[in-house]
This record gives sequence, C-alpha cells and structure tokens, in this order.
Amino acid sequence: MRIAVDPSKCQGHNRCMIFAPDVFEVDDYGFATVQNPAGTVPEERVEAVRTAVANCPELAILVLED
Amino acid sequence: MTEIPVRDFDFHGPALDTIFDTYKELRDHCPVGWSDRYGGFWFLAKNEDIFNAEQDWATFSVAPSMLLPAFGTDEPMIPIDIDPPLHSAYRKLLLPLFTPRAVDALTPLVEETARTLADEVVKGEVADIGLGYARPLPSIIFCTLVGYPPEDWHMFDGWVDRIIYDRDVNPDESATAANEVRDYLWSLVERRRQEPPKDDITGRLITAQIDGRPITDEEILNYGYLLFLAGLDTTAWAIRSSLWYLARNPQDQERLRRDPGLISSAAEEFLRTMSPVQAMARTATKDVEVGGCPIKKGDRVVLAFGSGNRDEDAYPDPDEIIIDREENRHFAFGAGIHRCLGSNLGRREVIVALREFLDRVPPFEAVNLDEPWHGVGPLTVRFIREA
Repeated sequence: MRIAVDPSKCQGHNRCMIFAPDVFEVDDYGFATVQNPAGTVPEERVEAVRTAVANCPELAILVLED
Repeated sequence: MTEIPVRDFDFHGPALDTIFDTYKELRDHCPVGWSDRYGGFWFLAKNEDIFNAEQDWATFSVAPSMLLPAFGTDEPMIPIDIDPPLHSAYRKLLLPLFTPRAVDALTPLVEETARTLADEVVKGEVADIGLGYARPLPSIIFCTLVGYPPEDWHMFDGWVDRIIYDRDVNPDESATAANEVRDYLWSLVERRRQEPPKDDITGRLITAQIDGRPITDEEILNYGYLLFLAGLDTTAWAIRSSLWYLARNPQDQERLRRDPGLISSAAEEFLRTMSPVQAMARTATKDVEVGGCPIKKGDRVVLAFGSGNRDEDAYPDPDEIIIDREENRHFAFGAGIHRCLGSNLGRREVIVALREFLDRVPPFEAVNLDEPWHGVGPLTVRFIREA
C-alpha cells in the first residue's frame, strides 16, 4: 500500500495520528504528512492506515496503490 | 417553476427534543428545503451535501455569521465569521496551541481537574453531574489556556447561557450579556498589556502580527469573544451528553468500566450522535443549485451537521450508538477550512472526563428521565453503592 496526504484537503483534525501515529506526522500547525516520503505503508500497518483513511473527516488521505 | 419544499425546521431549544426524528423525515422527504425561521434559510440534511458545501467556501461564505441567530452581536467573530484570505492568517496564530503535542502537555491538568471534580460530586447519594462535573471542567481548563484568573470560571456559565441558549427567545438579553463578556475580555487585555509576556492565548493575541501588521484592538476582542463562546459549552455538552447516555445504558457503562480502551471510540460515537453543534450557517455568494433547489445569492444556508451525522447513506445503523464503531467520519467539529480549531483539546477533554469519572465513581443511573439529551442543563444521577 502507498499513500499520501493531500495538503489542500488536510485541515488538521489529526485523526490519522490516533490510528497510525507511527505512519503519519504533524507539523507545528497540526497539518499531517506521511512520515515515509515514498508513502509506502509496512504490511503490518495497512489495517491501521485503512482505519485512518475511513476516519479522516476531509477524505484527505489518498490511497495511491492498494 | 418547480415548487420549493418547505418545512418548519428549527434546530434550537425544545426542537432538539425530537430532532433526530425531524432529521430522518428531512433526509427521507426533504433533504434540501426552506424554513421561514430566523429570517428564512435553506437547510441541507444529507451528509454528502453538507460535506460539499463545507469544502466550497467560495460559494458558501461564513459572512456575516456562521451562527443563526448570531451570538448577541453584529461584530464578526474571528476566525469563524471570516472568509479567506484573512481567515488563514487568523487561524495560524493559535493553531500551534491546539496540536496533539500541545494537548498532551495540557492533559495532566485536565486529569487532575477531572479527579477533583469527580471526588466532589460523588460525596452524596444523588448529584447533578451537569452542574458539578460536565460544566466546570472545560471552564477551568479554559482559564489556564486563555489566561483568565482561575477563580473567574464561576461567572462563565451565566454568560454562556444568556448569549447562546436564550438567544432564539430573548435576543436583547443575549446582546446585554455579550457586552458584559466583551467588557470582561477587554479588561483582561488591558491588564495583560501591563504585565510581563506569557505564552497563552491572550499573550499570543495581544502581540500578534496579521499579514505583517500589528493586530487591532477590535480584532483581539472579536477573537477572544469567539473563543469564549466556542470552547466552554460545547465541551460541557459533549461530556454531559456522554454521561447522559451512560446513565441510561448500564450495559455500555459497565463495558467501558471493564474495557477503558474503548472510551476513545465511545467518545467519538457520542460526538457523532449527540453533537454539541447541531448546525452552522453559511451565506451563498452566488446562485447555486443543491438537490434541485434554487439557492440565490445572499440566501442563508444551514448545514444540519446533526442530520448528516445520522445519514443512512453514510453509516450502517446510523441511529444506533455503537461504542466500538470503527469507521466514524462525522461533522461534530465541522469540516473544511473552518473545522473546529480546538477539536484535539475538545476530544481529549471528553475522553479524560469519561475515563476519570468511570474510574472514581461507582455505577450511576439517571434519576430524572425528563432531562433531555441536549444542552448543558442539569444531569441528575444516583450512585449505586454496594450495600
């Protein structure tokens, strides 16, 4: 799985940080990015990321490859 | 010409008693329609329509106010009644105080305050945990965050009740209370300008630069006023409504006691189904059609978050409170560029409030079954102690 956070959509709800704090990170204003610049999600974290995707109020987490 | 669907839709006061049935009827038969209340407004009841309107800030402006009716003043509240580009400059001022890291730093104070309040209300056999627990907790935390004198929180409830909860029936009283609050906030600003700098909300506001120029006195006041009305009763409502549910549903109360790990998802579910902010308003900046309805430039448009949060097209069993619901995107904090600035803190306060309460007090049950799910009024419970 490969993901990205769309910076034009993220509004800093930080729900992704609840479900996968080891995959996402937030800046000083609370806006999220994916820690791994390539966006690749380790196999064992795919389920947590799916939960984060489903809970993002802005639909800001893009699944580039499933 | 097609006929415009009309409903006598209201989202304040006693209308909230049965509003979930109202929402269902709207979603089924009138997902977009017109109400003559509060000067007349369109309402959007479907999750997808609300989401799209929230994203399209250029068409759905927050001027002159996101509130309908307004909060006792015609002054625009900052930042919620301001459109881009100024909006983002205002938000950036305070966003760093509400990140997950900043909220982590505040959490020990939230925990300690919750414990102190819980230990006090549990002393009797019966207690009003709305008055004794749900309301004071956010007010006390807010004093620290903003820089109000800690003992002042006792004055806040009366102001909030008059400005927010009486405004649909008594606008004059709401305006009087608004002036009292603005005078109070201004005296704090003047006092703080004489004192050494401190990094709290007031400290940041009085030294702020907006797009390279110093913030004006009026802006400081309109920002401080918004924070006063955004952070107190909303969090109190969320805590109270969660406890209201648990006082009436002993099985879920027992389940959370057994498995506190579920409190986070339970809090999210309570926020979805009993949102403190049931609706917010916009104003169309141009003619636009939604759901076949001809919204004209200048028309007010109410986004019924509470209805979107129970939309059968967005959630399985939308009216069921499922405390371990995993997929839970909702509008309790709004969405788009105006999403609640304090959502991280609000969520944390609700979770800590529930965790500490369940940890400190024995099982509790509702005493007065007439007390409604909504609002920040009394919540009377009896503690069930082993004989």
